[in-house]
Amino acid sequence: MLAIIPSATLLGVDGRAVSVEVHISNGLPGFTVVGLPDASCREARDRVRAALLSSSLPWPLKRITVNLAPSGLRKVGSGLDLAIAVGVLVALGEVPEEAVRGLAFLGELGLDGSVHPVPGTVPLVDALPGDVAVLPAACAGEARLVGRHLVRPIVRLSEVAFALQGKASWPIHPEPPPAPPAPPPPDLADVRGQPVARRAIEVAAAGGHHLLLVGPPGAGKTMLAQRLPGVLPRLEPAEARLATRIHSAAGVALPPGGIVDRPPFRAPHHSSSMVSLIGGGTASMRPGELSLSTGGVLFLDELGEFLPSALDALRQPLEEGSVRVARARASLTLPARFLLVAAMNPCPCGEAGRPGACRCTEAHRARYRRRLSGPLLDRFDLRVDVHRPDVDELLGGTGGEPSAVVAARVAAARARAVRRGVGCNADLPPGRLDAEAPMSGGARAMLETSLRQGRLSARGLARVRRVALTFADLAGLDGPLRAEEVGQALALRFDPVGLDAAAVA
Amino acid sequence: MVVGRLGRVLGHPGLVQRMGPDPASLARAWKVAAVGTDVAARWVAHAAVTVAARGAANYPEPLATDLEPPAVVFQLGSTTVLDRPRVAVVGTRRCTRYGHDVAVELGHDLAAAGVAVVSGLALGIDGAAHRGALEAGGGGGAPPVGVVASGLDVVYPRRHRDLWQQVAATGLLLSECPLGSSPEGWRFPARNRVIAALADAVVVVESPGKGGSMYTVEQALRRDVPVLAVPGPVRSPASAGTNHLISEGAVLVRDATDVLIAIGVTPPRRPRTDPRPTATGEARTVLEALGWEPATLDQLIARTGLALGPLSVAVAGLEADGWISRSGPWLERISGPAR
Repeated sequence: MLAIIPSATLLGVDGRAVSVEVHISNGLPGFTVVGLPDASCREARDRVRAALLSSSLPWPLKRITVNLAPSGLRKVGSGLDLAIAVGVLVALGEVPEEAVRGLAFLGELGLDGSVHPVPGTVPLVDALPGDVAVLPAACAGEARLVGRHLVRPIVRLSEVAFALQGKASWPIHPEPPPAPPAPPPPDLADVRGQPVARRAIEVAAAGGHHLLLVGPPGAGKTMLAQRLPGVLPRLEPAEARLATRIHSAAGVALPPGGIVDRPPFRAPHHSSSMVSLIGGGTASMRPGELSLSTGGVLFLDELGEFLPSALDALRQPLEEGSVRVARARASLTLPARFLLVAAMNPCPCGEAGRPGACRCTEAHRARYRRRLSGPLLDRFDLRVDVHRPDVDELLGGTGGEPSAVVAARVAAARARAVRRGVGCNADLPPGRLDAEAPMSGGARAMLETSLRQGRLSARGLARVRRVALTFADLAGLDGPLRAEEVGQALALRFDPVGLDAAAVA
Repeated sequence: MVVGRLGRVLGHPGLVQRMGPDPASLARAWKVAAVGTDVAARWVAHAAVTVAARGAANYPEPLATDLEPPAVVFQLGSTTVLDRPRVAVVGTRRCTRYGHDVAVELGHDLAAAGVAVVSGLALGIDGAAHRGALEAGGGGGAPPVGVVASGLDVVYPRRHRDLWQQVAATGLLLSECPLGSSPEGWRFPARNRVIAALADAVVVVESPGKGGSMYTVEQALRRDVPVLAVPGPVRSPASAGTNHLISEGAVLVRDATDVLIAIGVTPPRRPRTDPRPTATGEARTVLEALGWEPATLDQLIARTGLALGPLSVAVAGLEADGWISRSGPWLERISGPAR
């Protein structure tokens, strides 16, 4: 009269094992689900009953109690449907208890007895105990990525029942044909002109430096940002596993190969809420855009239009590489190690703040500037202006270097950073700068002048030195930083707050 | 009596529309403007401000004979400045580095030649001219005159609070608005008319085709005050107005000497030296490619053919030596040594 069936539920990017305990006793017929189910989980009652009946399986007119253990953990989603249905069959004696030993179940039931896929298959399967995972055929590919279980794909509840009763063998569902390989990411060769912005993309990729693109509409800011993942190195196996897990947990479609091994590119719209960026919100603590872009690029177009609170919430993840989400019921840490690329207009009129040509009033420009907090702007090591290219450049014959050439330089530069013991130069602690990035006399003099003339802050100094080190890495240079590297680092860090041209007086 | 005269002289259509052409409605408008203002408290706090009604002995002489003299003038500072030759240096708020530098230079050199620089204390050209004049004033030059469009106790623009105080301390601040008046839009054309009335010549440094400076020019022409203009690049929107004025026959201004000749003051002989180190090699190439219009790094790369590395070294060096300045992404050439 009692059955215990293993399954799992989702919290953040991790699955948690859940035991589905089904008890059937005499008494007033009824069906109760206890153990902190959320709304979609409690509705399992009606789906399970209808699915069993549609599959010509018995439904007892008895008292059925389902407990989801551990009862302190909140259960979300419809993934426990299949486990509950199998539990009912075992508790009824329709299926022998030995048949389900070592099996774990995952899947949502339709009223017609079909089994539907559930989001978060990768972390869920990872949390399943036992050796055999019975789950919807559509999830089989993701489930096999975990590699610990024998995966039994099914499409109907009746298939499970017959297999467990020994009336039929486990069904064999043909693997879906391998999907065509994902199209290659957009190539840098498509970008005409814009030597400075191209260089900034390369440096951002090589050093992991956050990048702010400032330019009028139509200048190609988005186009440039989309090409950044193409010059980043492919994800390491561990990074790819993490990225796949996050994508699966968030219910985002995985790429054709099943594994997220290219750096992800996420571009949330500027109306995005804080929760959608940070994560949390649902009881399952769905990972947000910050986590989804882990290992890749988070692109915020129209930075000034985002909610100020959402932008300020970026600061801690940018420092720590993770988001700590605390809610009344649970708190957990989600990974969020991404390269931030933001784009904004220099001013509302589109003349890019050109002295003498910009028609925006003081008040307009001040309002535009106020949208961005200084601490956030400070986290951009690279701030580059992007201009509409000249007509000659647009129609001219040759594009720039293709992504593959740039990516090779980026990979070599990243390898040098790894030899220093950091993932990329942006992570280099300030205390190690003197040892890792000594400066030549010329470089020192240039920085000294900038500091004395007030064009560089003490905080900016360390950032400029890191960027200069990346320039040296890209050029394959050893030894102290030359004036050339420091000069380029300074040139790629203009002050967007100084967009205010009339402030010369 | 005073109010009646002012009613008659409201030449500016905007003013007439706002305040009505007849003395009674004008008086009503003044009353409305004064509601909520504790007049006595204001006067106690600003005892240094003198009031001159038209016809009074302390009414500024250049205004007394004007076409549209203000009924009342509020003054702060030394009124003897107005006995000197006076030149208005005006221009757009949204100036380029070039315009700013020329305005500073003109302000400085005119003041050093003993000419009172009259301007509106606004952002951009006006403020730059005042700053130049104040620097020369420290070395024995003529103090500047600021004509403002708000009450003398309402500092506008607030960013120029220091400039406002310096002009009041060394020169003269003048306004036809009662204490406590806020800088409403319609007061600015009226203020520009006072600038034109005070000046022996009006120099426009930078101005787009339309704007307050062009209104000042209009008012100057009505009074037969000579109008001079500083030429700019033909593609620079900030110089569209001045270039147009020159094509219409305004005297072209290259430096203070051109202005001094126009008002009949003998220019002092003073050799000008540039203490900046000479730009050589790539720096020279970059400076020549930059020219006198704002340009970006992308444009400089295209013009010089230099790679980003050497270019940025050259730019940093030029910036350190005071040859170019940066505003946001734009690089601009600085004409003279920093003052």
